[in-house]
Amino acid sequence: MTKELTYLNYLKQDRLPHQWCPGCGNGIVLKLACQAMEKLNFLKTGTVMVSGIGCSGRSAGFFDLDSVHTAHGRALPVAEGIKLANEKLNVMVISGDGDLFGIGGNHLLHASRRNTDITIICISNAIYGMTGGQCSPTTELSSRTLTTPRGNVDTPINVQALITAHNCFYARSTTYHLNHALKCITEALQHKGLSFVEIKSQCITNDGRRRGFKNSYEMLMSYKDTYKINNNSSVLEHDEIGIIK
Amino acid sequence: MTKKLLQGNQAIALAAVKAGLNFFAGYPITPASEILHELVNQKTVKVLQMEDEIASVNAIIGSSLAGAKSMTATSGPGFSLMQESIGHAHMMEVPLVIVNVQRVGPSTGMPTFPAQGDIMQCKYGSHGDYFPIVFYPNSVAELYEFTFHAFNAAEESLSPVILLSDSYVSHLYETIEEADYPVSNRTLAPLGTSNRHFTGLTHKDSRPVTSDPGVHKKLIKHLETKQKKVSRKYNNYEYIENKYSDILLITYGALSRAVYDLKEDFAIYRPVRIFPMVDKIKNIAKKYKEIVVMEMNAGQYVNEIERLLHREVNFIPILGGKIDLNEIWTKLRRIKKKR
Ligand SMILES: Cc1ncc(C[n+]2csc(CCOP(=O)(O)OP(=O)(O)O)c2C)c(N)n1
Ligand code: SF4
Ligand SMILES: [Mg+2]
Repeated sequence: MTKELTYLNYLKQDRLPHQWCPGCGNGIVLKLACQAMEKLNFLKTGTVMVSGIGCSGRSAGFFDLDSVHTAHGRALPVAEGIKLANEKLNVMVISGDGDLFGIGGNHLLHASRRNTDITIICISNAIYGMTGGQCSPTTELSSRTLTTPRGNVDTPINVQALITAHNCFYARSTTYHLNHALKCITEALQHKGLSFVEIKSQCITNDGRRRGFKNSYEMLMSYKDTYKINNNSSVLEHDEIGIIK
Repeated sequence: MTKKLLQGNQAIALAAVKAGLNFFAGYPITPASEILHELVNQKTVKVLQMEDEIASVNAIIGSSLAGAKSMTATSGPGFSLMQESIGHAHMMEVPLVIVNVQRVGPSTGMPTFPAQGDIMQCKYGSHGDYFPIVFYPNSVAELYEFTFHAFNAAEESLSPVILLSDSYVSHLYETIEEADYPVSNRTLAPLGTSNRHFTGLTHKDSRPVTSDPGVHKKLIKHLETKQKKVSRKYNNYEYIENKYSDILLITYGALSRAVYDLKEDFAIYRPVRIFPMVDKIKNIAKKYKEIVVMEMNAGQYVNEIERLLHREVNFIPILGGKIDLNEIWTKLRRIKKKR
């Protein structure tokens, strides 16, 4: 195996190719998570992956690690139970925006209050992908979805404020900014206490298509155009990506 | 063996510690809170007070998979919240003990009064097919003993076992002998040692298989067979024969204690493992012309009994948390007369 492909060691290769749509951002995040673990020389035993339900919720099952696919919204209490029962384990969560902020929102509030030493990677595609493209808690104002045909009237959740209010690690990146996203995940994994990485990601099939994007490349380019890296502020503006420790 | 005056809930907590409990997560609720209160003082148990019962049951799913013998305790409203995850734990084959100290429902009902309204919820509360093992003791000594059995059955069956109680039995104080019952060890390897995938999706060999009915049928059959096999070790029931009566009273939990007073006039059968139902009742029932099920709900176990016995069964509901023997007598006289 060539050096660049060694991250594949962290995946169950007999389960590839994955079943996500061509152009979906989920695969990019899967690879980034593997690269971060490789960078930090994580052992496959000793690391546990947890996901909730959704397209992104399928992530856990692809890792060549012990992994748990929880009920919808329940990844965090399960992950906390694992960590607190065996503090030696590295416990990572990869799940969706609907799963973590919608149905599981109360758990996020309290997991961050408890500052449990786990790393959460949110594949934040601003949509309920798996169920066909309904509005999610991160859907932008006036954005059109299956359930907001005249545009979303509710303000998206301020994840940064929620996580940083409890002095936890918060990072935001996108599936376009690969090096930056990798840095965010790597630092999050090294952080002691709860760390949260929100990765803006594209769902072409059940979101982008409905908003006039021709393909996922166009969605990635919109991340390139929208988000600027901010390396030295304690608050990220809505069009900035960075790390708040 | 030492004798001790214990409250029912306290007995559950102390027995759980002896049965190997390492991890407890719960949310306060009357009449179950004393279990949480007792456990926070135990040095060998990690105790978490979570944000709700959904978080509690999910935290113990995580802790159990990570290798800790785990338990939660609640009452009807919390038990309702846990249902989705109970089905999930059956599907992922996670050993858990879930204590449900029943109170009068539906909804917030009468929080301090006993009821037996969660019998069906134990068996059918989650969606899909699953085959829970459920124990329902009727004294402090039995709560103590069956806490051990619940932990052992959970380990042996790799499933969430329900220990039912009610606010009456759980709040009783009785002197019991603190016996040491045998303890089953963990067989499931803890998380972090392999590359298994635990999922609530229909699965085979750690892989989701979501469009093959054959795989699903096999999985459900496996769950059913396993539960039946393990439950055979716990055929617990009480039968008080009465050669002079042709009426058999079926009762359990708090109510059964009052019904003991009628044993001069009637035979009494009391299941302790209420699910899967103990088959023995089929033979016992044959000896009696009339079967009367009494329970503190509007008719739950009676339907299961009728289904098992394939015959008509009389029913006396006791509602509102108060057990009145006069009321029971009046109804029993009517049944006697009808014959
Ligand atoms: C209790 C419950 N309610 C609803 C669903 C249906 N459901 C499955 S995935 C999903 C949304 C997932 O959205 P998100 O977490 O953003 O994941 P994505 O598919 O976008 O990656 C919903 C509502 C469910 N599985 N369980
Ligand atoms: S529906 Fe969207 S989120 Fe789901 S796999 Fe397809 S592109 Fe990805
Ligand atoms: Mg989503």
